[in-house]
Amino acid sequence: MQLFIEQFLNGIAMGSIYALVTLGLALVYGVMRILHVAHAAVYTVGAYMGLLVLHLTGSLFLAFVGSMAFCALLGVVIERFIYFPLLKYPPYVPLIGSIAAMLAIEELCRLFAGPYILTFPVKLPFPSIRVGGITISETLMAVYCITAGVLLFLWYLTTKTELGLAMRATSQDIPVADAMGINSHAIMSITFIIGSAIAAIAGILVGIYYNEVYPTMGAVPAYKTLALIVVGGMGSVPGAVIASLLLGVAETLLIGYANIPLPRDALAFIAMIAVLMWRSEGLLGSK
Amino acid sequence: MNRPLLETMDLSKHFGGLKALHKVSISIYPGEILGLLGPNGAGKTVCFNLISGTYRPTGGTIRFEGARTDGLSPQRIAAGGIGRTFQIVKPFGSLSVLENVLVARGISRYGSFLRMWRGWKAPSEREKAMRVLERVGLTDLANRKARLLPLGNLRRLEIARALIVGKKLLLLDESFSGLRHEEIDNLESLIRNIRESGVTILLIEHNMRVAMGLCDRIVILDHGQIIAEGDPASIQENEKVIEAYLGRKGTEHAS
Amino acid sequence: MSSYLITVATLIAIYAIVVCGLNVIVGFAGQISLGHAAFFGIGAYASAILTTKAALSFWTALPLVILVSAFIGLLLGLPSLRVRDDFLAITTIGINFIVEAVFLYIPFFGGALGIGGIPRVFLFGTRMRGTGFFVLCMVFLALVILVSWWFTRCWGGLACFALREDEEAAASMGISPMRFKLLAFVLGTAMAGLGGALYAHYMRFISATDFSFPLSISFLGMIVLGGMGTLWGPVLGAVLLGVLPELFRPLVDYRILFYTLILLLMIRFQPGGLLGEGSVARRVFSLRLLGGKS
Repeated sequence: MQLFIEQFLNGIAMGSIYALVTLGLALVYGVMRILHVAHAAVYTVGAYMGLLVLHLTGSLFLAFVGSMAFCALLGVVIERFIYFPLLKYPPYVPLIGSIAAMLAIEELCRLFAGPYILTFPVKLPFPSIRVGGITISETLMAVYCITAGVLLFLWYLTTKTELGLAMRATSQDIPVADAMGINSHAIMSITFIIGSAIAAIAGILVGIYYNEVYPTMGAVPAYKTLALIVVGGMGSVPGAVIASLLLGVAETLLIGYANIPLPRDALAFIAMIAVLMWRSEGLLGSK
Repeated sequence: MNRPLLETMDLSKHFGGLKALHKVSISIYPGEILGLLGPNGAGKTVCFNLISGTYRPTGGTIRFEGARTDGLSPQRIAAGGIGRTFQIVKPFGSLSVLENVLVARGISRYGSFLRMWRGWKAPSEREKAMRVLERVGLTDLANRKARLLPLGNLRRLEIARALIVGKKLLLLDESFSGLRHEEIDNLESLIRNIRESGVTILLIEHNMRVAMGLCDRIVILDHGQIIAEGDPASIQENEKVIEAYLGRKGTEHAS
Repeated sequence: MSSYLITVATLIAIYAIVVCGLNVIVGFAGQISLGHAAFFGIGAYASAILTTKAALSFWTALPLVILVSAFIGLLLGLPSLRVRDDFLAITTIGINFIVEAVFLYIPFFGGALGIGGIPRVFLFGTRMRGTGFFVLCMVFLALVILVSWWFTRCWGGLACFALREDEEAAASMGISPMRFKLLAFVLGTAMAGLGGALYAHYMRFISATDFSFPLSISFLGMIVLGGMGTLWGPVLGAVLLGVLPELFRPLVDYRILFYTLILLLMIRFQPGGLLGEGSVARRVFSLRLLGGKS
């Protein structure tokens, strides 16, 4: 029983990290209807920048802040130079651009920082707690708390602020939002800023969680998060979060308990196809 | 009175709680030009979409030549001889004007697995397509890419394509909107011409003058229901109609 | 000709065949497919298994391979093509991952070791190797291009072009979207399967990782670069992307970066590809294309 709970908690942590990465993707899709595969590269850069700033300043806090700022900038650059000009073309055009950008950024990471796995040996300033014989490490606590914090922030932003209203309007109908005086392009850029900053947080957390930072660390999240936003309902943030948590738990439990002869990545897609068969718009999507 | 070519019986389309169309019964008789009018949001295009198969009705039936068509796919309905234009024009942008028309000509081949492998570049095909272009006055632009055409010509292209498909019934969705004066006159005579060749026409139109002049009968929709029907003269005097149009802000009359 | 050149040229010819198939799906019918490498793999494995375990000759197996590739394309296409653009992109990525996983994990397909000892191709008793095999591939490529050319001239092809431009308008002219999307998809996967069979008998050893997702991206890159929806675009793209890595070899470490940057610049500034409408290359060379509709 204890093992099960421990695995379950690990699964929630895994799911939380998936949620952080998928969030950005869902936000971007909601506002621009583009599959921002390059988001995974932003996440990778986030991990590297975090490491870099940590080296330079010794402060974990500054590492987070610096990385978030850099990634926010990177996100906007991608949006302005690649996606926005390609909006008028069929969707596979920006998609290819996104994939090309992702590969190029990964290569740059490899060229700058080397192909080897770097370590991220940092103790997160969170308490480790014991509940009924089960230890929850400070890393797990950090993941839970930070994810909860980010979700709370997003919830507040989208439901209680004018900016959030503008974002929701833009994701519903761009011409109508424009007609109401919303600068839809600015909203798109802001969405990228928020999503990319969150990706940076996810990158750093993953780097610390596995104590590994390497150029292709974005490859697996790149495709899984795609499956996740489909399952959650394209552009639905709550859906993406739920789907991420479910996948995190399912993967961890399955690896721990069952002997399924399929790689974890295929699992995400199989789940996705199963959900699509049942509900063609995803869990929380709308037709 | 002869039997209707198309009739809808208690046709309804609800989107969740919104009753876009509710228990609408219309009959269209062969050879007539029937106008479907009404303020914005009255449900006219919804009605078209139901007839052309783009939407499935929530309730009621549609019969074309006596046989039920509600629930059939748009391509089946098109193959039955019902052609339509779209309110927002939908040209095949990267194909030429002639090729756009040729697509419509292929309607008799698309259903057959054997016939779809035959070539479309034969001179005889091009000729037949050119003749249709002649009717709408687009022969000079036959080789121009459709996406380069201005709106007036695009509307004519829409009609050319719909004409080929709509051997029995033609659904014209606001074909006059956005046209200049001379273009409106040309289009009016084209439509009369089409009716003379034996095609029945159902049209949605905002331009009152055109609608009154062209249509044999008119049906007025408001809030998804029929509020009046009859010949143009009686419609114009109908109080409910006047109230529906004038009692509303932002209604358009002549374009 | 040097044997190194022949090797590169043969691989380019094989990729060109596969990519012509992708061009039918994406370029002619406007459907996104990011899993084309899976069908390349299905053809390869089908031929490998039929010729090793069932001891058929390449030629006897070939019609079966093409049929199998087409059939699986039909099976996978049915649920996939029903969904919207973006879903389709992701579903085809999923297909790639799942097919690769099947090849990797199910023992019948050799697992991680793949399938080896694939026999050579014999034509009228002569062993086809080196230049001979290259010529064979070129013949198949010519065949595939002929089929593509015919497709652009037939009503089925015209229906696909219409579908690509505007699905709703096409439906209003009697074109069933599902039927024609499937038609293009099946034709495309059949061509990929053919390429796969040639690949298997060329490399004589295949494994699941040969057909993974990055290859699907390369294929897409080839038709983007060459010009989607044109007749010769896929061939040009295969040549360029086959040759570029070799040209960039001296750059060693910077190869992939250059390659991806070129792809990025290409898609950003010339999404129509080099042979596409209004492209710089077309204006410079005033090229006249034989058929194709871009």
